[in-house]
Amino acid sequence: MRRLILSVHLSVALVGGVFILVLGLTGSVLVFEPELDRLFHPHLSYVKPSGNVLSLEEIGGAVSKQFSGEPIVAYLPSETADLSSQVILPRGIVCVNQYTGEILGMRTRGQSIFGLARDFHVRLASGDVGRIVMRWSGVAMLVSLASGLYLWWPGRRLGIGGGWRSVRFWFDVHNSVGILSLAPLLILAVTGTVIGFEDQASSFLGKLTGAGEASARQSVARRQTVPAAPATTSELISPQVITPDRAVAIARAQMPGAIPYRVQMPRYGGAYRVNLDLPGDRVAGGRNLIAIDQSSGTVIFSTRSSDLSSSERILATNEAIHTGEAFGMPSRIVAWLTCVIVPVQVISGLWLWLRRKRHARS
Amino acid sequence: MKRLKRTLAVVVLLAVAAMASELTGTWSGAFKVSGGDHSTPQIITLKQDGKKLTGSAGPEPGEQYPIENGQIEGDRVRFEVTSGEWRFSYDLKRSGEDELKGNLELKGVDDRRTAVVLLKRRT
Repeated sequence: MRRLILSVHLSVALVGGVFILVLGLTGSVLVFEPELDRLFHPHLSYVKPSGNVLSLEEIGGAVSKQFSGEPIVAYLPSETADLSSQVILPRGIVCVNQYTGEILGMRTRGQSIFGLARDFHVRLASGDVGRIVMRWSGVAMLVSLASGLYLWWPGRRLGIGGGWRSVRFWFDVHNSVGILSLAPLLILAVTGTVIGFEDQASSFLGKLTGAGEASARQSVARRQTVPAAPATTSELISPQVITPDRAVAIARAQMPGAIPYRVQMPRYGGAYRVNLDLPGDRVAGGRNLIAIDQSSGTVIFSTRSSDLSSSERILATNEAIHTGEAFGMPSRIVAWLTCVIVPVQVISGLWLWLRRKRHARS
Repeated sequence: MKRLKRTLAVVVLLAVAAMASELTGTWSGAFKVSGGDHSTPQIITLKQDGKKLTGSAGPEPGEQYPIENGQIEGDRVRFEVTSGEWRFSYDLKRSGEDELKGNLELKGVDDRRTAVVLLKRRT
């Protein structure tokens, strides 16, 4: 049995090792994507807090003046006092000092190093085939972890001995690092595999929790309240009576304690759409949205994270755990360390396999 | 002669009217981003004015975004739509009387994706 498990462990690692390595390396970049992005673009990202924050309308005015009245798609208000505000235009994102109205610069659209890292992490930058390879790499990682645990269990060796070039050293590194990081590796592998097979997981969880019915009820309620489709572009740009700042105030009143992080203009979507972040909401992505009529200021519809069905909540929480978002900075640090450990395990395992092969030949 | 001229004028007017409203109408379909999980529905309202194209597009009738830089060159139809973080650039060709088929490029602030789109006329 042990021989069979060892051969499974080796085969899975040899076939999937390189893809698991890609998952680990790109994952370590993606965990701290916002911070790294700011590191690469400090002049666009940071501002010196001074005085009062300008209103969204004033910020929009400064942007329109600089970019010849190009329509504003959305506002991304600053997350913290020392980070700039952003304004989305069709051609890119403008970074603005929210205290002075100074235009810090524009980020044009297109793939960046982080977009490429995400593309490799999710689909090996190779479309549908890459997507399949990467989702099965998650399964390979699970098999590798389970078989590794089985192989480690009888000796339960912990600790590192021998010189760094010796087999003993690398065997101990592979065993000790593997067992100490087993729990976070397992969590990342399980949550990543669930994300990879999200459609299947969603359908399975829907059946398990009976959420399909609830979801259907919600979407019917939503359909009944959305505005009718505008027939032409001119209808989409009908005059707005309330300002974006007023829309934010209305949204805040609807969801006390929530922080607005995105305000989409009525021209783009037919109504003001305000996304809000609710502190302590351990789900991934913006799940709180309030749509406000541009003329009357009435709330057209709202979706909240508390409205999520059980299966939707499980999947959103799963994603937040995978990205490290769930418990803030501590969980992101654990996620990063775990990603960094993946290459150590793949390389030490490969080294051991090569030595074993050479030894068998001689 | 007078009758022939009148008939020709009517034919020309009808042809111009037909060309002018060639793409005008509601189109629906879906696209799936290469390497993506699922298809995204599309409801597109087109209004043709000569070689210019306006209207709106979005995933559902209640969520529509204005069409920008719409233009028609022969059987090639190109337009752009901005929906929040993504800028959609459609490059379509008429693949049948009531069918548009082609490529879609999605550009975010740090990402670029591609998809194949198929739209069919609804009205």
